[in-house]
Amino acid sequence: MGNLTASSFLVALSGMVIVFIMLIVLCLIIPIISKVVLAVQKPQINNRVAPTTRPKAEPAAQPSIIGVAGEVALIDVDEKTAACIMAIVSHETGIPLSELIFKSIKAI
Amino acid sequence: MSDFSFIGTLQKILMESGFAAFAEDPRSLIMIIVACVLFYMGIGKKFEPLLLVPIAFGILLSNFPLTGMLNEPAVIDGVTKSPGFLWVIYQGVQHAIYPSIIFLGIGAMTDFGPLIARPSSLLLGAAAQLGIFTAFLLALALGFEPAVAAAIGVIGGADGPTAILTASKLAEDYLPAIAIAAYSYMALIPLIQPPLMRLLTTQKEREVKMEQLRVVTKTEKIVFPIAVAIFVILLLPDTAPLIGMLMLGNLFRECGVVDRLSDTAQNALINIVTIFLGLSVGCKAVAENFLTLETIKIIILGLLAFMFSTAGGLIFGKIMYKLSGGKINPLIGSAGVSAVPMAARVSQVEGQKANPANFLLMHAMGPNVAGVIGSAVAAGFMIKVFGG
Repeated sequence: MGNLTASSFLVALSGMVIVFIMLIVLCLIIPIISKVVLAVQKPQINNRVAPTTRPKAEPAAQPSIIGVAGEVALIDVDEKTAACIMAIVSHETGIPLSELIFKSIKAI
Repeated sequence: MSDFSFIGTLQKILMESGFAAFAEDPRSLIMIIVACVLFYMGIGKKFEPLLLVPIAFGILLSNFPLTGMLNEPAVIDGVTKSPGFLWVIYQGVQHAIYPSIIFLGIGAMTDFGPLIARPSSLLLGAAAQLGIFTAFLLALALGFEPAVAAAIGVIGGADGPTAILTASKLAEDYLPAIAIAAYSYMALIPLIQPPLMRLLTTQKEREVKMEQLRVVTKTEKIVFPIAVAIFVILLLPDTAPLIGMLMLGNLFRECGVVDRLSDTAQNALINIVTIFLGLSVGCKAVAENFLTLETIKIIILGLLAFMFSTAGGLIFGKIMYKLSGGKINPLIGSAGVSAVPMAARVSQVEGQKANPANFLLMHAMGPNVAGVIGSAVAAGFMIKVFGG
């Protein structure tokens, strides 16, 4: 069969295993990084909020809720844009707007 | 001056023209027809036009006889002869410059957020590299040398720059066929994947609505490219050009302090390099290398590689569906082949066909970008083993 030998299968298998090992390692590292980052950030956020001289949280750091349209929370989105998004979702899914429930629309 | 003859001069011009040279080797004429077919695919059918149009023009230029466009620099009788224009341009592929810069741009355009939010997506990106190793074995069975078989296999990663980089290192003569196969099949993903997706999954599996991904913080996104570069490159140094540039581009995007660099990497720079990359790939498609039975074999193997990679991702998606108690839609597995974001869009479309309320795009982007890392790792492995 051409140049196919037993060692070819070994190479293919090793390659697949290496790819898996590499990505599994990353898969394990990412949550650790996330936990460390969140742990480091948490005290910083608390420090920003805690001082009595600045009782309110910094508004710029948090997404601002512009308003609530019906039961939909609009976060950094105006009502006109939200209406367009709801209409597009209804059109794309084929589900009437009256049967769709939006909880919130947030600008990313 | 008295010897001047208008007819004689005209004859001389014609005899020394490219038209006369076609009579000596008509294969160049066939390559010009191949270039025109690629123009039709790129311009008429809009199959990866950004790459296929410059590739086709590169084929056209390199197959015009007597132009010397591909001439190497030479010293003849003590006189240094300048290299041909396309030979100079090709050095960027020869030394793995262009694919790496393209990866810089891809990194600057990619949001790794969905991958960070669900790290298990990486496993789908790994499983979808199955086609690389299956096509490698099939290529060996068809009689290709191991290094060439490895380069052909990388087509299954569905990642053009990675396939080009591997081919430039392991199978230079087959570079045009490998690049054309990779980009053509990437454009055909919406046709290749859906039948396999429907074949390998049940209606119930396709209908699964996945939970919304968590919000990923800016700091996580900044740390991610640095951590990936450290771990992957230290483990597999041969991946350094691709993974290094991919992660540098992503760091430009996420760090928020080099917006101008990020903008340049994802627009001007990647566009400029795409022109050079396309021309370089096309210029290597000269008749004696391209018009062979091997090219047809590579085209067929490329298709099989794509199919096996899609199947690998889907099968692992099914495993994750079972292990998660039905929370993972296996359709996102097929996005584990790189082809960003085309493969993720196909998952979205197929998911919505099964359940109109299904939005899989962001969920599929995780395996999709994991596929880019996975195919770079697989290519690094192949270069390590067969690169000498």
